[in-house]
Amino acid sequence: MSVKRLRGTFKQLLAYRSAVVGLCILCFIVGLSIYAVIAIPYEEAIRAWRLGEDVSINNPRNASPSWINFFLQKKLPETIIMDTLKKESGAKKAIVPSETISAIRIEFPFEFNYDDFPSELNLFFTANYSEKAPYITIDWIKPNGATIRLKEMVVKKTDRYYISIDNELAQKLRLDLSEKVGQEIPYEIPPQLSLFAVEDGSILKPETAQVLKGKYKMVIEGILFEKQSDMDSRLVVYGKVFGLAGTDHLRRDLMIGLLWGAPIAVSFGILASVLISFSQMIIAAVSAWYGKWADMLLQKATEFFMILPFLPILMMIAIFYKLSIWVLLVVVIALSIFGSGVKTYRAMFLQVKELPYIEAAQAYGAGNLRIIFRYMIPKVLPTIIPSLVLSVSSFVFLEAALAILGLGDPVVPTWGKIINDAYTKGALHQGYYYWVLEPSFLLVLTSLGFALLGFALDKIFNPKLSEI
Amino acid sequence: MAEHLLEVKDLYTYFKTRKGVVRAVDNVSFTVEKGETLAVIGESGCGKSSLAKSIIRLLPRNVHTYKGEIYLENEDLMKIEENKMNEVRWAKISMVSQAAQNSLNPVIKVGQQVAEPLIIHEGIDKKTALERARKTLSMVGIPEAFAERYPFELSGGMKQRAIIAMALITDPDLIILDEPTSALDVLTQASIMNMLKTIKKKTGKTFMFITHDIAVSSELADKVAVMYAGQIVELASAEEFYNKPLHPYSIKLMASVPTLRTDKKLEFIPGAPPSLIDPPKGCRFAERCPWKFEECRNEPPLFLVDNRSFVKCWLYESKGRS
Amino acid sequence: MRRELFAFLKYAAKRIITLIIVVVLAIYATILVANMGGYVDEIIKAQTRDSIYTSVFQNPAYQHLSTEEKKQLAEQLYQIEIEALGLDKPFIYRSGGYLISALSLNLGRATYLTSDSGSTAVRNIIAERLPATILLFTTINLTLFFLSLVGGLFLSRKYGSKLDKAVVTLSPFSSIPGWFYGIFFILIFAAWLRWLPYGGLVDVPPPANPFDYALSVLKHMVLPIFSWLVAYSFVQTYTKRTFFLMFSSEDYVEMAKAKGLPPRLIERRYILKPTLPPIITEFALTLIGSWMGAIVTERVFNWPGIGTLFYQAAMFMDSPVIIGEVTIYAYLLAITVFILDIVYAIVDPRIRIGVSGA
Repeated sequence: MSVKRLRGTFKQLLAYRSAVVGLCILCFIVGLSIYAVIAIPYEEAIRAWRLGEDVSINNPRNASPSWINFFLQKKLPETIIMDTLKKESGAKKAIVPSETISAIRIEFPFEFNYDDFPSELNLFFTANYSEKAPYITIDWIKPNGATIRLKEMVVKKTDRYYISIDNELAQKLRLDLSEKVGQEIPYEIPPQLSLFAVEDGSILKPETAQVLKGKYKMVIEGILFEKQSDMDSRLVVYGKVFGLAGTDHLRRDLMIGLLWGAPIAVSFGILASVLISFSQMIIAAVSAWYGKWADMLLQKATEFFMILPFLPILMMIAIFYKLSIWVLLVVVIALSIFGSGVKTYRAMFLQVKELPYIEAAQAYGAGNLRIIFRYMIPKVLPTIIPSLVLSVSSFVFLEAALAILGLGDPVVPTWGKIINDAYTKGALHQGYYYWVLEPSFLLVLTSLGFALLGFALDKIFNPKLSEI
Repeated sequence: MAEHLLEVKDLYTYFKTRKGVVRAVDNVSFTVEKGETLAVIGESGCGKSSLAKSIIRLLPRNVHTYKGEIYLENEDLMKIEENKMNEVRWAKISMVSQAAQNSLNPVIKVGQQVAEPLIIHEGIDKKTALERARKTLSMVGIPEAFAERYPFELSGGMKQRAIIAMALITDPDLIILDEPTSALDVLTQASIMNMLKTIKKKTGKTFMFITHDIAVSSELADKVAVMYAGQIVELASAEEFYNKPLHPYSIKLMASVPTLRTDKKLEFIPGAPPSLIDPPKGCRFAERCPWKFEECRNEPPLFLVDNRSFVKCWLYESKGRS
Repeated sequence: MRRELFAFLKYAAKRIITLIIVVVLAIYATILVANMGGYVDEIIKAQTRDSIYTSVFQNPAYQHLSTEEKKQLAEQLYQIEIEALGLDKPFIYRSGGYLISALSLNLGRATYLTSDSGSTAVRNIIAERLPATILLFTTINLTLFFLSLVGGLFLSRKYGSKLDKAVVTLSPFSSIPGWFYGIFFILIFAAWLRWLPYGGLVDVPPPANPFDYALSVLKHMVLPIFSWLVAYSFVQTYTKRTFFLMFSSEDYVEMAKAKGLPPRLIERRYILKPTLPPIITEFALTLIGSWMGAIVTERVFNWPGIGTLFYQAAMFMDSPVIIGEVTIYAYLLAITVFILDIVYAIVDPRIRIGVSGA
């Protein structure tokens, strides 16, 4: 147990290539965990994850990770946000005041040079007034000069205009475009296509539609009816890529989930593994040492829990109680403490019990507890370390399994939950492979890290193996 | 007719380990005549067990060098094929190894295990083989009924006897006994040694008896070979050896054995035997030898002394060469 | 001989009694959990009350009654219904009855689920689903067992060879469970390549001809079997190979070699025979475990076995089905443990003669 022994073990470990790889992986994952905890504090992460849309309203839905553009020929668009409250975004606002009413003009100029259309177009407003709400007109100017009147509306205190799902607008644009092209467009072309498309025959099929690249402008002109009235606006041209990991159906940045999945998975796995292994070991030691009634009772308890089907009962409890992940951890531990490990360890302890130095300890009057904790357990401890490390992987996947079945913690972002979301929202059918692949990759990596380490430790600590 | 029953010539057995190459048997030569008992004496780690395993060709996976000549009645065992060697094993040479406690298959009855070699090597049918097994067991002092027991039902001493029975049953030419009594208490030791003495007298078999215990060896030995650091340092007849050991190591060994009747100051040999991975140049016993001198820096050959004994020590240079 | 037989019977009797006690306790515990100590009853009662009240209040036949009268009527109907369901007695009292029924395999009726043939008898529901699970997982585990046994034996002879090193290197990949591999193989082989079906037992609609039916089932079994083989064959081969290596360095194996016994005989009698009990135990327990525990695999592949059934039952809080399944499982496990103990005693004389040991 001394530091020297640990160092010696560590050196031995490094001799195995697999262990080195495993350790590197684990360093990476632990690094991720630390970064996650520091960069996005727990409460904030939960909030962002739980509230989803409200917090991430500026993110596109189901966006792929940005780096995917590196591999694609057709470059997917990024999100363009222009906010009158943020001058640096390029939005221009001007108010021309007069005696009673003021004119307001907001311009959103931007360049759009991507090869693919935006996924969504939304306009957000905040207006300041006491009785009479401002009235505005919204125009769209394409690079070829064409100006399109999008809408005329009254702006309430907080208001929004979802351009891409405006059916009236969609119809109007479709008819206009059909005229220009000389043929009827045979499908329900959405505004984010018609407002950005090259106006020729290519538009007749959604797959062949081309983006008209160049300078676009949205112009909002309106009237503020009160002297103190004011209005701000934000245009979001939603892209199809976002961040390092993309987004999900609720616009949440997957990085939050992926990052936070790390500390949760690792702590769940390690806590479960360590607590269960140690408890099993102590129970086995007590059982082996005291013998007779204690032994029989503990062994019967073990058999009882072994017959109880672990996963089904865990599922039942999870369904009935909608557990939080940490309560789930406690339940898992409670159900596993009397598991089959107890029988294996007990066999080991029975052998240790016969060793002469135990007899010697008894002879000089060492108490039972002292013998168990100071003599027997330290002897067996090295042998359980490999299985302890190896079982971390299975607990990580247990949590993932429950989440994938829909029984996991409904609030906390875990890798399994992300996969579950992806599955239930049909990620595979819609081609959002990254949604499934990213958390899966991390799960596999973490599991491999522990497994590689565990196998190498097994070669070192298992006395019989080191003889081969 | 062959000259010797067993002749070992220039045998080298090295093993490859993480720490280096272990030179367990480093140029060993000796002969054993029919009916003779050769005692090989040495401390733990001097290579005696490796010598035994080399003769019966049971080498572990990490063997590095294995060369020399081992003649069993004129046939060089090192040159024959593995499956031929399997026929030699037990039929001509049998071995009783050190760990008797675990040498018996725990899930097979004792009698069956003792009978096994007969069935395999001589093709005898099961019933007859079991009969002979029972007889052999009683010869070594185990009641015939125990043939139906399992190994864990036998005491340590009985297990050892059973293994000796197993080694005798095929009537081999040479029986190697590797520390057969080391794991047993003194009383059992004595009774087993008596049993061996009886068998030796009755059957006139050839034994090679490996041990670290000089006293025990003296009961059976006709010839003595002393091993140190992988080499034989003295080879003499039992009479000569136990009366007057020649090599400094042998002398020191004798001096360290307590005697029952005389008052003797117990001596010990300071230091520890050298590592077999990187043995010292020159005489390997030199650093612990109280009589060492200049010449000991070079490795001494085996000198023939009084036309009878071989000693690997410069002190005997004048007495003749080997 | 008689001495052995007597010891043997004593041992067997002891084991049976202990197992029975444990099974009874386990099933009772499940009953408690499945009903959450009566909580589920409360839920059912509340739901029943709701639905009866709603139906009474909305029933045009009762329109003319006053609110008070409607309430009374509803209460009466409610009481009748509750009594019919047996929910009027306190749960603890009924749990004993449940226990006895469960133990005698009188598993009652499901609350919500039905079998494909329309029966609500739990026994029928389970009986319908059980074969699918047994078929799939017995095939998988038998294949894995023999593959790893032969492989392990082979590798233990060729220690340090390239193949050996390959298996050792690939073993950590078994930390990833079979169902997880399953998801990806579905992605590759079903979604992308379209070679194999996404899941389920047979094609829809199932072929009429029994031969084609069997072929269709086989086709659907390919991916699940493949996933589990990829997941577990390496580590199982590795474990057995390590096991055999450890046992081949035993002294009695050395002795056997010294005796000049042919290598195949040594393998069979000196390595395999002593190690068979723990190997078979592991196999049997894994097999039983996979029948119950492979819920996730069955879900991923939409395999209509008792794993999926369990999931559905848990989802609907259908206690009778849950209890039924756990009972069957407990019995299966207890029987297996018992058979294993007997097999152990036959094969390993140390246990038979009653020597306690490690």
